[in-house]
Amino acid sequence: MRRYVVVLLRLLLGVVFVYAACAKLRDPWTLFAMSIDSYRLLPEWGVVTLARTLPWFELLLGLALISGLALRYASAAGAALLGAFFIIMIISYARGLAIDCGCFGPGEALGPKTLLRDGTLVILAITLAVMSMRPRLSV
Amino acid sequence: MKIRPGITIPLLSATLLAMLMAVALAPAETPAKVTKVMGTPISAITVEVYSDFQCPKCKALHETWMGPLIKDYVRTGRVYLIQHEFPLPQHAYARTAACYACAADRVGKYGEVCDILFKKQVEWEKDGKVDETACSVLTAAEAAKVRVLAKDPAILAQVQKDVELGAQARVNSTPTVIVSYKGRHYPVDVMASYSSFTRFLDSLH
Repeated sequence: MRRYVVVLLRLLLGVVFVYAACAKLRDPWTLFAMSIDSYRLLPEWGVVTLARTLPWFELLLGLALISGLALRYASAAGAALLGAFFIIMIISYARGLAIDCGCFGPGEALGPKTLLRDGTLVILAITLAVMSMRPRLSV
Repeated sequence: MKIRPGITIPLLSATLLAMLMAVALAPAETPAKVTKVMGTPISAITVEVYSDFQCPKCKALHETWMGPLIKDYVRTGRVYLIQHEFPLPQHAYARTAACYACAADRVGKYGEVCDILFKKQVEWEKDGKVDETACSVLTAAEAAKVRVLAKDPAILAQVQKDVELGAQARVNSTPTVIVSYKGRHYPVDVMASYSSFTRFLDSLH
């Protein structure tokens, strides 16, 4: 049973990461840079670096999760990444910033719907990370 | 290179003279009027702005992005700019303000009326004095014309057409800025800095 749950979670999260990466990579990186910049958390160089690298990291992470390669590391990285996104989104929403979420490309406003979705993904990613870390039960 | 004084010196003199005449005869650089639609449609990039005169973020966008955008990108022929009116239903005077702006466009004062409406937004949204605010930057003759035009069914229809265009483009908040390039439409986050926006525009060329 646990095995199936792990497979289901890693496929689900893997597809989400790959989709998020593709949604950003199909547009110029400068458009994603605008989304990052709107959070007003990073200096110029940080915005540029993150805009250029994050989609590729998401793609690698997604592929690793789908294939099951280095699952412990991939699931931990996925949980950490989604957790970081979620915290930043909560802070920005609390600050009253009417900005785009930037999660799956432009045009999606940060709001309760996106927070609920990302919160759910964080819970799923943490569950996967915990299940991947636990030693396998010997039969 | 071998210089032949017999030909080169008259040629250089003629070129220099032509250049001097071109500079002397060129019209003095005066900033073109700000209108609802600016630039040339053949520009590779089209920027469409949907805004509401009663929206504080539209005021911020107008006062931070629009001036530099017009100066650096529209007047240089790099961007075709279309400013759409998108008065939100919850803003009591926004549609009236939009009508005055469109009417002012007909007398060549769109930029001036937009500037004053945004500048004094906090004042007229309290007392509803859109007419006084808009007409404060017009001559008496222009004001009389704009007052009539602002109630003209053609102007009301123009504002409504803008709203419908926005609805078609899935605009659900203001300000919304949509950049179009090579058949693709990019909604941009207007909360980003102007430098981020120009980096995006520059990356499209």
